[in-house]
Amino acid sequence: MNYLSSIFGFLYQLGDSCAFLVLASCGLAIVFGMMGVINLAHGEFIMCGAYVTAATTRAGLPLPLGIACGTIAAGLAGMVVERLVVNRLYGRPLDTIVATWAISLIVTQGTLIVLGSTIPGIGTPFGSFHVGNYSYSYYRLLLMVAAAVVLIGLWLVFNKTNFGIVARATIQVPHMAESLGANTRLIYSLTFGLGTALAGLTGGLYAPTMTMVPTMGTSFIMEAFVTVVVGGADVFLGTAPAAGVLGVIRALFTSWQGQLFGQIALLVAVIVVIRVLPKGISGWILKGRA
Amino acid sequence: MNTCTRVARPRTGTISQVGLLLGFFTLSVVAAFAANPVKIGVLEDQSGDFAVATVCKVHAIQLATDEIDAKGGIAGRPIQLVIYDTQSDNTRYQEFMRRVLQKDKVDVVFAGFSSASREAYRPIVDQLHGFCFYNNQYEGGVCDGNMVVTGAVPEQQFSTLIPWMMEKFGKRIYTIAADYNFGQISAEWVRNIVKQNGGQMVGEEFIPLGVSQFSQTIKNIQAAKPDVLVTLLVGTAQSSYYEQANSAGLHVPMGSSVNVGQAYEHKRFKPPTLANMYVTTNYIEEVETPASKDFVARFHAKFPNEPYINQEAENSYLAVYLYKEMVERAKGSTKPADLRKIIGMGDVSFDAPEGKVTIDPKSQHMSHTIYLAKVNDDHSISFPYIWNDIKPYWLGEAGADLTKSDPHKQYTPSDPPPKRN
Amino acid sequence: MNLFSWLPALNGPQTKGAGRPFWAGFALLIAAAYAFPFFSDDYTVGNVAYFFTWQFMTIGLCLIWGYGGALSFGQTAFFGISGYTYGVLTINFGSAYGLTLLALVVALLLSAVVAALLGYFLFFGRVSGVFLGIVTLAVSLVLERFMAQTAGPQWHIGEARLNGYNGMSSILPITLPWFGEDIALMPGTGFYLFVLTLLLAVYLGFRIIINSRFGNVLLAIRENPGRAEMLGYDVRKYQLGAFVAGGVLAGLSGVLYSSWGQYITPSSMSLTAAALPVIWVAMGGRSDISATVVGTFVVLAIFQTLTIYGSQYALVIMGALLLLNVLTTPEGLILQCFQWITRLTPRRRP
Repeated sequence: MNYLSSIFGFLYQLGDSCAFLVLASCGLAIVFGMMGVINLAHGEFIMCGAYVTAATTRAGLPLPLGIACGTIAAGLAGMVVERLVVNRLYGRPLDTIVATWAISLIVTQGTLIVLGSTIPGIGTPFGSFHVGNYSYSYYRLLLMVAAAVVLIGLWLVFNKTNFGIVARATIQVPHMAESLGANTRLIYSLTFGLGTALAGLTGGLYAPTMTMVPTMGTSFIMEAFVTVVVGGADVFLGTAPAAGVLGVIRALFTSWQGQLFGQIALLVAVIVVIRVLPKGISGWILKGRA
Repeated sequence: MNTCTRVARPRTGTISQVGLLLGFFTLSVVAAFAANPVKIGVLEDQSGDFAVATVCKVHAIQLATDEIDAKGGIAGRPIQLVIYDTQSDNTRYQEFMRRVLQKDKVDVVFAGFSSASREAYRPIVDQLHGFCFYNNQYEGGVCDGNMVVTGAVPEQQFSTLIPWMMEKFGKRIYTIAADYNFGQISAEWVRNIVKQNGGQMVGEEFIPLGVSQFSQTIKNIQAAKPDVLVTLLVGTAQSSYYEQANSAGLHVPMGSSVNVGQAYEHKRFKPPTLANMYVTTNYIEEVETPASKDFVARFHAKFPNEPYINQEAENSYLAVYLYKEMVERAKGSTKPADLRKIIGMGDVSFDAPEGKVTIDPKSQHMSHTIYLAKVNDDHSISFPYIWNDIKPYWLGEAGADLTKSDPHKQYTPSDPPPKRN
Repeated sequence: MNLFSWLPALNGPQTKGAGRPFWAGFALLIAAAYAFPFFSDDYTVGNVAYFFTWQFMTIGLCLIWGYGGALSFGQTAFFGISGYTYGVLTINFGSAYGLTLLALVVALLLSAVVAALLGYFLFFGRVSGVFLGIVTLAVSLVLERFMAQTAGPQWHIGEARLNGYNGMSSILPITLPWFGEDIALMPGTGFYLFVLTLLLAVYLGFRIIINSRFGNVLLAIRENPGRAEMLGYDVRKYQLGAFVAGGVLAGLSGVLYSSWGQYITPSSMSLTAAALPVIWVAMGGRSDISATVVGTFVVLAIFQTLTIYGSQYALVIMGALLLLNVLTTPEGLILQCFQWITRLTPRRRP
C-alpha cells in the first residue's frame, strides 16, 4: 500500500508538471510555433483569461462557463491585436518581439491602473482526496485531464476540420492558399485568435489556484517559450513530447533536490536538447521520417 | 507630483543633444515658497510586482504630510514631497536615489520595499551622505548610520510568534521560505528560536522567487507531519501556495511574519484558504485600539478606495512624524549628523496607531507593539495575544553600536558584527 | 595628411555616415560631449554616464544580431559574469596600484572565455534562429536563479559575499593610478570622461572592424549563410568571433554598471533585463551602429523622463511609443531619421 501510494504520488507530480507545461505552451505553440510570431504578451493573454474567469465566476456564473468566457475574451482580444498590430509584422518576425513586449507593458500596467493591484480570487473547487498518507486536490487532476483534452482537441482541429487544413496550408504557403480561394487574412486572424484563446483557457483553468495580479502571466511565460522551442515547429510532434520530457525532468529534480534544482534542471535540459537536436524534437522526428 | 516648476535649459541641437533635451529638464526650486520647505523624497514601487503592498505606503506618507502641514509643518516649514515610481526595478532605485539626493536635494528619503532594492540604493545614500528611512518589515541586520529602519525585524516577530505557537500546537516545526535573503535569514531565526525552546525542525524548504506551482512542496510537508508550518513566502507568485495547499487538504496551523500584514492575503483569497494562520505584525487595519480606529478613519477620509492599510503603511506614516520630532528637537536642522545626535539620546518616540514606538540608538531600528493576528475561518482577524514594547535587541546585543562606529553593513545571525572589546 | 590616413578605414558600406560633413558633425558632437560636464551639474553628468554604461551591451548586440544575424537573447549573462567578477576581485584585492583596471580586464577575459565556450557549443552545433535566442536566454536565467539563492554566508569567494538576491555591494569604483593620489571614478565628471572615452574608442574600433574583410564576410553570412559557405568561408568561425566580441562588450557594460552603483544583483540577468537590450537595439535600428548608439541613448532618456513625469502612466506610454515605432518605422526610429536626413541633403560625391 505504502509502495503504491508513493508511486501514485510521483505520477501525480509528473502529471501536474506536464499539465502545466502543456497548458502554458499550447497557445504559444500555435502563435509562435506555427505562425512564427514571438509573442511576449502570451502571459498577458493568460492573465486576461484568468481575470475574465474570476470576474464572471464571482458575478454568479458557474466556473466552467466562467472559463469559457475567459477563453472567448482572450480569443477576441487576440484577434483584435492581430488585426491592429501583428498582421503588419508577418514579414519581419523579430519585430514582433518589440511589438508584443510593448503590448505586454500596456496591458499589465493598464490593468493595474484600471482594476487595482489585485482582484479577489475565486477559490479552488472540489476539495481533496486521500491516497495513503497524502491528500491531493481533485482540481489538479482535472487540470491534467484538461491538458490531454486540449492536445486531442487541437489535433482534431488541425487534421480533421476544414479550417485546420486551410489554416496549415495558409501558413505554409500563403499565396498558394490564396489562389486556391482561401481568405488568408481571416485565416491568420482566426489562427492567432485560437492561440490566444488557448492562453485564455489556461488562465481560466489556473485562475482558481493562483493569486490574481496583473503580472500573473509572467510565471507561465518562460516555461511556455522553452517548451515550444524544444518542441520545434510542429505542435503535435513537438510541443506534446517536449512537455512530456521537460515535465519528467522537472518533476524528478524537484522531488529529489527541491524547486531550485527543478528549475535549473529544466533550463539545462533545454540547452542540452537544443544542442543535440538543433531543430527541436519535431524537426528530429520529421527528419527521421524523411 | 511636486510643486517645482520645470525649466528646460536650451541647448543647440545635434542628435544626441535632442536626447539630452528630452532627458534632463532642469528642476529649479522656487524660492518664493512661503518658507523654505522640508523636502522628502519618496521612492516606492507604484507599479510592477510589488505594487500590491506599496501603493498604500505612498498614501500614508501623503496623509501624514497633510496632517503635519495643517498644524504648521516641521519646525514651521511646510513639507514638500518628491515622489518617484520605482516600478519594482532595482536600477530605478539607483537612478532615482541619485536624483533625489543630487538634483532635488531632498532632506530625507523614504525608500524601498524589497530588501534587494534597499541594498541597491544603500551604497548611493552612503556615498552622497544622505539620510534615509526604510519603512519596511525585513530580515534585519542593517547597521548603517545613514539609515533608519521603522519596520519590524525577525527578533521582534519570531521571538514572540514561535514560542507561542510551539506552546499551543506542538514542537515539530516545518519552514517553507522564499529562496533569497529574506527567506533564508528569517528561516535561520526560526531555526535558532525553535532550538532554544526545545523544539524540532522536521523540514525546511526554500522556494525560488516567482515559483507558482507547489504540488511537490505540499507533498513534502504532508510527509513530515509538522505541528506548525512557518510560511515565509514572498511575492504574488508564491502566494498561490495557500490556495493550492488548501485545495490539497493540507490544514496545518501556519505561522508567518510576512503574510496578512503586508499583502493582505486574507482579503484577497476566498475563505477559508488562510484559516488557522497566525501572524505577528506591528500593525494591520483590524487592530482595535481607539488610536488605530481613528487612523483608519482618517486614512479612508483621504483615500476612500484604499484596499487595505497594512503594516508598511503605518510604518511610513509614523516615520514622517518621527522625522518631524527629530528635526524639531535638532532646532530645525536637517543635517544627518545633528539628527543622529538626537537619535543617540535614545528617546525619539511617537504615539503611533499601533502604540508607542521608540528608535533604538545602537541599531537605528525601532521598538514595536507586536500583535498576534489570527485568521479565522471566515477570514476575519482576531488578536489572541499582544506584546508591548518589543525592542530590536539583536544588533545591539551582538555588538553593533551606531553611536560609536558606523560600518555601513548588513549583518546576519551567522555573520554577526565583530565583538568589540 | 598622414595623420588622417587611418580615416578611410572608418568608412564603408556597412556603416551610415561618411564624408566630411558627417565627420565634422561627429567631431563637434564629441567636443560637445567632452565639454558637457563643465557646463552641467553632478547629477546630470552621472546620469548621462549611466546611460553610456549600457551602450556597450547594445553595441555588442548590434554586432551579433544586426550585423551577424544571430539574435542572442542572453547578453545579460555576460553582463552578470563580468559584473560579479569585477565585484569579487575589487572586494578581495582593493583598488591600489590600478588593480581595479586589472580586475576590469580579468572580468572581460572571463566573459570572453565563457562566450567562446558557449559560442563554440552553439555555432558548431549549428544552432540558429530562435533556438539560439532561447539557449542564450536559458543560460542567463540559470545564472540568475543560481545567484539568487546564494544568500547564506557559505557562498563567498574570498572576502566577497555573493549575498544572493539582495546583491553584492561594497564593490569598489574603477580607480586610475595617478601620481600622488589615485583617482577613484565616482559617478560624476571622472567616471563620465572615462566611459565617454571608452565609448568613443569602441565606436571607432567597431567601425573599422565592421568595414574590414571580417565585417564584409559577417554581412554576407547574415544575408545568406549558405552562399557564404559555398564561397569557402567557415560561417561558424565568423559567427563565433562576433559572439565573443559581443559578449566582451556586454561584460564591459556589466563592469561599468557595478562600478557605477557599487552594486550588482542577480536581477540584472532576469528575463526583463534580458529583453531590454533587444528592445533598445530594435528601437534605434539594429543594422547600423550609429543608429544603435543614438537609439539606445534616446530610448533610455525618454523612458527615464517618462518614469519621472508620467507617474503610473509611464509604462503605458512607453508601450504605446514602442508600438507606434515598430508599426511606423520598420527599420528602427533612428535609422529612419538618418534616411530622412539623407533624403533632405543633396548628395555630393567627392
